[in-house]
Amino acid sequence: MKKITCILFAVFLAAGFLLCVFLPKAQYSDSERRKLASMPTLQAQNIWSGRFMTDFETYAVDTFPFRTSFRTLKAVTANHVFFKRDNNGIYVSDGFISAVEYPLNEDSLNRAVKRFQYIYEKYLTKNNKVYLSVIPDKNCFLAKDSRHLSMDYKKFEQQMKQKMDFAQYISIAELLEKDDYYKTDTHWRQERIIDVAERLAQKMGTALSSDYKIHTLTQDFYGVYYGQAALPLEPDSLQYVTGDAIDTCYVYDGQNNKEITMYDMEKVAGRDPYEMFLSGSLSLVTLNNPKAQEDKKLILFRDSFGSSIAPLLISGYSQITLVDIRYIQPNYLAQFINFDNCDVLFLYSTLVLNNSETLK
Amino acid sequence: MLFSSITFLYYFLPLTIAFYFLSPKRLKNMVLLLSSLIFYAWGEPKYVFLMASLIVLGYGFGRLVETYRGKKTGQVFCILSIMISLSFLVYFKYADFFITNFNAITGLGIPLLKVVLPIGISFYTFQMISYIVDIYRGEEAQKNIINMAAYIAMFPQLIAGPIVRYSDIAKQLEERKHSWDRAAEGIRRFVIGLAKKVLLANQLGELCNVFRGSDEKSVLFYWLYALAFGLHIYFDFSGYSDMAIGLGKIFGFQFLENFNYPYISASITEFWRRWHISLGSWFRDYVYIPLGGNRVKKGRQFFNILVVWMLTGFWHGAAWNFIVWGLFFAVLLMIEKVWLLKYLKESKIFSHLYVLFFAMISFIIFNAQDMGQAFSDIKGLFGIGGVPLVSAQALYYLYSFFVIIVVAMVGATPAIQNIIKKVSCKSVGEKILNRIEPFVLLVLLLVITAYLVDGSFNPFLYFRF
Repeated sequence: MKKITCILFAVFLAAGFLLCVFLPKAQYSDSERRKLASMPTLQAQNIWSGRFMTDFETYAVDTFPFRTSFRTLKAVTANHVFFKRDNNGIYVSDGFISAVEYPLNEDSLNRAVKRFQYIYEKYLTKNNKVYLSVIPDKNCFLAKDSRHLSMDYKKFEQQMKQKMDFAQYISIAELLEKDDYYKTDTHWRQERIIDVAERLAQKMGTALSSDYKIHTLTQDFYGVYYGQAALPLEPDSLQYVTGDAIDTCYVYDGQNNKEITMYDMEKVAGRDPYEMFLSGSLSLVTLNNPKAQEDKKLILFRDSFGSSIAPLLISGYSQITLVDIRYIQPNYLAQFINFDNCDVLFLYSTLVLNNSETLK
Repeated sequence: MLFSSITFLYYFLPLTIAFYFLSPKRLKNMVLLLSSLIFYAWGEPKYVFLMASLIVLGYGFGRLVETYRGKKTGQVFCILSIMISLSFLVYFKYADFFITNFNAITGLGIPLLKVVLPIGISFYTFQMISYIVDIYRGEEAQKNIINMAAYIAMFPQLIAGPIVRYSDIAKQLEERKHSWDRAAEGIRRFVIGLAKKVLLANQLGELCNVFRGSDEKSVLFYWLYALAFGLHIYFDFSGYSDMAIGLGKIFGFQFLENFNYPYISASITEFWRRWHISLGSWFRDYVYIPLGGNRVKKGRQFFNILVVWMLTGFWHGAAWNFIVWGLFFAVLLMIEKVWLLKYLKESKIFSHLYVLFFAMISFIIFNAQDMGQAFSDIKGLFGIGGVPLVSAQALYYLYSFFVIIVVAMVGATPAIQNIIKKVSCKSVGEKILNRIEPFVLLVLLLVITAYLVDGSFNPFLYFRF
């Protein structure tokens, strides 16, 4: 048997080496939504500085054969052998995948508020009605039952309310529950947040049309948490809402200066199907509603959650401008947006507010 | 390069083993040397020349010490060689510590050197000193510079020990056996060491990092940290030693054991016979005994103990907390020598609790950024300073790491080894164990690989869209 141990080990190492060297390398990781490292250039300078070695280590791990399967093996071991509560901060509860968003990061909240205050002081006047609403992440509805760490979401809301005293706070947390979110993704489901849109509209002094149709896409939707969990779980189905105002509205992508569609069906087959809502991560998007009964405009400072709720709000406005300050410097906004007499809503998820280093 | 890396496991090791076993006997040490230089240069391309110079100097001095052994000149060469080796160590490891403290005392502002510490310098300097001293004491100097260089630079023990003494492997450098049995034993030892490092130590280290970054400290969390770090450092260090010993066996070497279940000790004296054995015995043989050891008056003996343990602490790192850590053990060892040892023998439970408690406290000092943090962590254990008893975070991580901690606690005792021994006493049990061992090792390797691969898991910061 000693011989078998030696032979098995030798075969294992040889096979591992050959696969590492000769197997074609992936260049992109769908689950992490990032480019994988490529083979570093073999140059004397790189070797002398140690850069080649550091980069090679990253390359070797990033392009390891069957990497996704090995990540699944690790997740299964962590969850079912070591019974860890989470794996890389991701856990599964009741079929929903969520991230442990903890603790409440006050510095991050202060940073976000500072950015919002800058916008308020630079662009807004008394003629602008300013609103704030915070979208709780999925952890808010899952953590307590599954005994995971959970921020004090009431304190979170309270703090944002206090720090942003220039904005009227609209609470939406009580309208939400875990089923309003995708099981495998961070985001909320558009077809289940119509009541949230109505609450926001009502508090901002407008009314929405109740003419909605819900459509279900046939493709499976594997959200961002699916890849992170690396566990074999059921996919979600993607649904979207249409209606008279939504159908007749035209959408302009201010980042790339072109007209786009409200729902980009090409993105459904792409790396992140949630990007079908207003074409994903764009810094500036304008929805124009030609059928609007009054000239009421909204500027929506938002993160990705805003992409799916903006179409639901359009029936109450003649124009909604979505601004994502993760992708545009706020000091350039005057070049693209006229703030006069517009309502302004800061609508952000706790995920972004609690990790606000992404805000410019 | 780290043993617990994909580069080592799937690139370096297969190539090195293949070249080693395919090369003729006379070239094996050359293959080992070249692979060791690549291994070292992978992490420290510039410092490979520093190590090479030390080796050449050591080789030359070794020959000189041997030639003039028994004469005053031999002693001079021996001392000179030790001084040169130590001067490298002092310059790279301790210069900034001395400058900082000198500046603090005198109020001067001498700029720090800020030199990068060459990996493994503490280990290979000590090996070099042991080589020279062993020759001075009568061991034959190595005539072949390749063999000498292979001894100093040998990658299995180069960066984290154990400190292999020349006298222990001098013969093996010239003549060693390779067998299926020894290689299989080496493979088992290597894989178990790797598992200790990757599956236990790394995860316990993760818990320690969570504690350090937490703003929600509580008494429970301090205890959890103390326990986790005590286990982390044991599995990290003993895991590396197992890997080194295992790799040594694969290449036909027999390195001495470095750990022997230290947490089952019934006294601190016993603890240090079981913890980092190669360092303890190095200090005993090359510092403590030359200072007079036990064969001197009590006062002088205690002075010797203080010196040895201060140096032991200082060897671990150029900071006051390491010196305090060493002196902490010196004090405990002296107390045991004077009166405690006899009482410890009377109660097994008390003696074990005593060792575990003081080992834990010592490692809190060891792992602190400075003495201020060490005191704050120790105070936290006892709830001094208004620390709450429990926090949500402490409870969460206690549940989350519970199984890992239990596995680590059991693994830190010889329980599993004893069970295996008992089972293999019976021929059926031995047969079964022998049959399943290769497959258990294979599964372990796959799981370890999974953990190493997942270590690269690095979600794009903007994944939220």
